[in-house]
Amino acid sequence: MIHSYLYLSIILFCLGVVGVISRRNVFTVFMSIELMLNSANLAFIAFSRVHESMDGHVLAMMVMAVAAAEAALALAVVILLHKHKSKLDTNVFSLLKG
Amino acid sequence: MFADGLFMLFAVLAVLGAAGLVLFRHPMNGAMSFVITLISLAGLYALLSAKLIFALQLIVYAGAIMSLIVFIIMFLNIQPEDLPKEEGKLLNILGALIIVAPIGYFLVKIVNRLPNATTELLGNNFGGVKPVGLLLFKDWLVPFEIVSILLLVSLMGALLLAGKKKEVSK
Repeated sequence: MIHSYLYLSIILFCLGVVGVISRRNVFTVFMSIELMLNSANLAFIAFSRVHESMDGHVLAMMVMAVAAAEAALALAVVILLHKHKSKLDTNVFSLLKG
Repeated sequence: MFADGLFMLFAVLAVLGAAGLVLFRHPMNGAMSFVITLISLAGLYALLSAKLIFALQLIVYAGAIMSLIVFIIMFLNIQPEDLPKEEGKLLNILGALIIVAPIGYFLVKIVNRLPNATTELLGNNFGGVKPVGLLLFKDWLVPFEIVSILLLVSLMGALLLAGKKKEVSK
């Protein structure tokens, strides 16, 4: 029974990777990263249910805090980039390209 | 049996929401379908008897973080012509699926080797506020403090990046 939770976590993680690789919209890429963090959270909670210890819950809370910090910083960067170029395309932001 | 039905419902909703996030063109539609994924994940946490994480997922993730993202999407006032063109989107997604497939296969092989366990609800206040809080402030105190510093740094970074530019003094 616990296997189905882990399979679901794998499916969600793979969908997040697909979103990061294939899409060019900044917001979609960002939310795909959040999806990957959430699938890791699901695996943490499932394993902590298997071992009947609550360390996984604490780790899931840490992941949530990291996601909140990431959201604040990433959205600030998106606003800055939108101010400069008024585009949301990741291909436009290639200033560091050699 | 009832828990199995709930699991299937939440799992299908979560996968559909994630697929919508990857497929929708406008980020607002994607954000809305991602909220569905987050809420169904909260239901799955409740099925795994993680009561505190269930509440935190609803309040912090689906409530605070997603409303921040939706707020920024509306703040930028994105018109359909501002969005990137993405001509070969379906082809790109197909290619990404082919790239990801070996990783997924590898992970499935790992999971198959694990012993299966039941997921019946645990009593004895497992995953409640008090036991998790005691664990957080006893065994995980140093990581907790480091996370607080991380949040402070990201707050200052966001202010520095998106705040109003000061006039450069001559």
